[in-house]
Amino acid sequence: MNTILKLEHIQKYYGNGGNITKAIQDISFSVEAGEFLGIMGASGSGKTTLLNCISTIDTVSAGHIFLEETDVTEIKPKSLARFRRENLGFVFQDFNLLDTLTISENIALALAINHTPAGSVEPRILEIAEKLNISDILNKYPYQVSGGQKQRCACARAIINNPRLLLADEPTGALDSHSSQMLLSTIQSINEQLRATILMVTHDAFTASYASRILFLRDGEIFMELRKGNDSRNAFFDKILNVLTIIGGGQSHVC
Amino acid sequence: MYAKLIFRNAKRSAKDYLVYIVTMTICVTLFYAFLSISSSYYNPDIGSEYDFTLLSDGMKAVICMITLLLLFLIRFVNHYMLRQKQKEFAIQSIMGMEQKTIGRIFFAETLIMGMISILIGIFFGVFCSQFITAMLLTAYEKSYEISWTLFPDTVLWTVSFFVFSFLVVGIFNTRTIQKTKIITMLSAEKENEPEPGNSRWISVAAILFELITVWAFITGIQKVWFYYDARFAFPVRLMYWGNILFPLLTLLWSVFCLIKKGKKNMLITGLLICSVLNAFATASVAALSNKYYLPLGTGMLNQYLLFLLIDLLFFIGALIYLAGSFIVTWKEKSPEHRYHGEALFFYGQITSKLNTTSKTMTLICITLVLAIFLFIAAPILTGWASGYLGVRSMYDVQVYSRYNHVYEEKNLPQDNYEIITDFFAAHEIDPVYDCTFSLYLPKKADFHNRIKYDFPVVAISLSDYNAIRKMLGYEQISLEENEFTTQWKAIAAEEERNSFIAEHTSVVTDGGTLNISGQPYSVEAMGETLYNVYTDVLYVFPDKICEELLPVIRNRYITTTKNISYENARELERLFAAEYPEQAESGALYSVRFSTLQTNSTIANNFILQTGMIYGAVVLMVICLTVLSLQQLLDAGQYKYRFSVLRKLGVDEQHINKLILKQLRIWFGLPIIVAIMAAAVVIGYFIQTISAEVSAYIGFTTLMLQIGVIVGILAILLLCYFISTWVIFRCSVNS
Repeated sequence: MNTILKLEHIQKYYGNGGNITKAIQDISFSVEAGEFLGIMGASGSGKTTLLNCISTIDTVSAGHIFLEETDVTEIKPKSLARFRRENLGFVFQDFNLLDTLTISENIALALAINHTPAGSVEPRILEIAEKLNISDILNKYPYQVSGGQKQRCACARAIINNPRLLLADEPTGALDSHSSQMLLSTIQSINEQLRATILMVTHDAFTASYASRILFLRDGEIFMELRKGNDSRNAFFDKILNVLTIIGGGQSHVC
Repeated sequence: MYAKLIFRNAKRSAKDYLVYIVTMTICVTLFYAFLSISSSYYNPDIGSEYDFTLLSDGMKAVICMITLLLLFLIRFVNHYMLRQKQKEFAIQSIMGMEQKTIGRIFFAETLIMGMISILIGIFFGVFCSQFITAMLLTAYEKSYEISWTLFPDTVLWTVSFFVFSFLVVGIFNTRTIQKTKIITMLSAEKENEPEPGNSRWISVAAILFELITVWAFITGIQKVWFYYDARFAFPVRLMYWGNILFPLLTLLWSVFCLIKKGKKNMLITGLLICSVLNAFATASVAALSNKYYLPLGTGMLNQYLLFLLIDLLFFIGALIYLAGSFIVTWKEKSPEHRYHGEALFFYGQITSKLNTTSKTMTLICITLVLAIFLFIAAPILTGWASGYLGVRSMYDVQVYSRYNHVYEEKNLPQDNYEIITDFFAAHEIDPVYDCTFSLYLPKKADFHNRIKYDFPVVAISLSDYNAIRKMLGYEQISLEENEFTTQWKAIAAEEERNSFIAEHTSVVTDGGTLNISGQPYSVEAMGETLYNVYTDVLYVFPDKICEELLPVIRNRYITTTKNISYENARELERLFAAEYPEQAESGALYSVRFSTLQTNSTIANNFILQTGMIYGAVVLMVICLTVLSLQQLLDAGQYKYRFSVLRKLGVDEQHINKLILKQLRIWFGLPIIVAIMAAAVVIGYFIQTISAEVSAYIGFTTLMLQIGVIVGILAILLLCYFISTWVIFRCSVNS
């Protein structure tokens, strides 16, 4: 398998002088093509900072991030926007859909920004809508559809340009349990059928159980790594809960 | 504790209050500057021949009337502030502060800001009033010196007016805060724009338009029934039928849409096209009746002017209402444009805003039309009045008489008006030129001809005519023995003059027949009283002929070495009226005009008219532009979110800045372009109806120059607003 994303000794500090907060201490890991990686951790553990660094929204203090051959940390600020739109797809907790556009137009915008020929825009939208089961709501506005549908639309928008890496930040954070389940199945099918590489940040064990590998962060460092392997999702879920128990209240804390 | 909170709040949210302070300062500045002229302490040196009291009372009334409009702006800006601070209010009430107290704190904050604006406004007002003084002294043709004075009564007026309006608006605000629920305040920022498509105002506007169209249709039928004649020229016939057919078409279209149960947009689009057709038909009424001398009364012309206005208003409303749908249709029809870069986002921005604010946009547009019209009409009207003043008061004193009600020859005016000579001697006023002369009827038989449209042209003897020309500094003219020439009023059109001369190559008089001279006419301005009533022309006959004619009018023109003072002029006017009453028992009508009095009243009235119109126009313009710019800034929170989504999708800053600029261009451009279109029609119609006066008293080149200057000033004002909105908008989207 070829490595699609590789992080080498990433560090991120905030503040200056004697008052420095280390958000990320020293993190290194790599993601293989077609992998579904979950990143878990309590709030303040540095998971969102990590995602921001990978997505080039934030810069690193030290270390390198490679997306295939490209060193993301070396890209000039002017070319960042272009890099993002050509290589990355985003799914956010609060959907980030534009309420002035219909669902179909929201998806089309991502294509248009990427200079897709006008003729091929609509067929591609129909194709992706079919896959994500949002064909009937294409002409509705975001305020007319449910949260789950909104998030599926956001997914469609994120993957329509066939990004090399799909980044999801708490995608189920604003959804009820039923919608969460449906969305996660969708994301899983995106991973399995479309062979998309996904990096998902979450603090929810159930959500994380859909991933094939999970990195647990604590205080800016990788605390543990879990692989699903051949486990069932339920077994994997139990394992995750165990790790979370350790993170939340390790033995040193009890003593 | 509360006082501390108020001051700290005010200091901290200075940026939020910036818009408030700037708007209020502009209002105060305008108010103070224009009102300062009416101050009792204001005493500019306009010379003893003029009286100033006439001006100040008129000014005060005009300024106060127009200022009522400012109340609307104050209310709007307060509403903007209220929305900005909703979240803060919510937190305060969650913490347990009573909503009444919150209201009071907000009121105190706005009052502090208001007071600051009043101070700054008065300071700038003092500067601005210099411009107005300059304008005033230029109007009186005096040289101008800068003087820095603060007028206590104007300051008092300004402070009282604005404090009063702050109080009124403050009470409204406190009540609004008290009534708003905490949850509404909390979610105010996240509030979606209301759903589009449920605006009812356009339906009301359409119904009103239909009713007026029914009226126009009935009027059209009446006019054809009573006045139509198949011998009319083709354009006139077209006008008559057009005024029936187009209203009928409008009504039929609505009936068709009702039967077919068509969509509202289809109905409105049809009505929009009909309103343009109707506007052409109604506008042609005045134009053609001028050209073809149609016997249509002023009442009817005014009625059609009303129809034209209604058509225009509906056109503006419908166009803005449909602008959103036009953009959507265009977007739907062309995938190349739709899917080009960030175009989708841009269309979304524009249509969502247009759909929810079409009513406000229409109001802004109509107000802008009014403002532009006032700006352009002010110099036209004042130019007309002062041009006319030049024609009317060419002599320091002019005495004239009329014989309209004299039915016996012995009662005709024969006097030499010696009372003036005596008065001049008593008051040591030296005349430079003094000319008493008669105007004669070419044929005695015409004496009893009193039909308005066929009033006889009178004649002057060559020596008197030359004496008056000398008085005015014109060249002398000469005539052969059996020749005559003509003298024309400035207002007479060239065609009228040419056709008259062609028809009157010879004139039969009681003293013999005269032929037209090689120099058939003169057009130099020589005053209004040199002609018989209802006529624009005067014959000039050799002296010998005039001796045999019947003198019907007796005039006296005098120019003096120095200007007659205002008091002397009033006194002489009184004495003259006592001896020569306006309507003497003999039937003769006498009148005296002093250039001092005429100039004074004309300049004063002109000045009130001009400043009133310009003040009104500036106020309306400021209201429109402030509302336009606030409408955009009001939603900056929402825009911030939308643009952040774009950024996350991978759109770079350069493109985002371009999009912002494009959006603001449309936002400012649409109402301004529609307003300019409508204003062009109104002004075109206006100038066309008074084209004779414009060419006679102002001149088209001067007028175009003045309009050019005004357009330039307006463009600068617009640019200032545009740039400041753009800067603030970019800051709030990028922060």
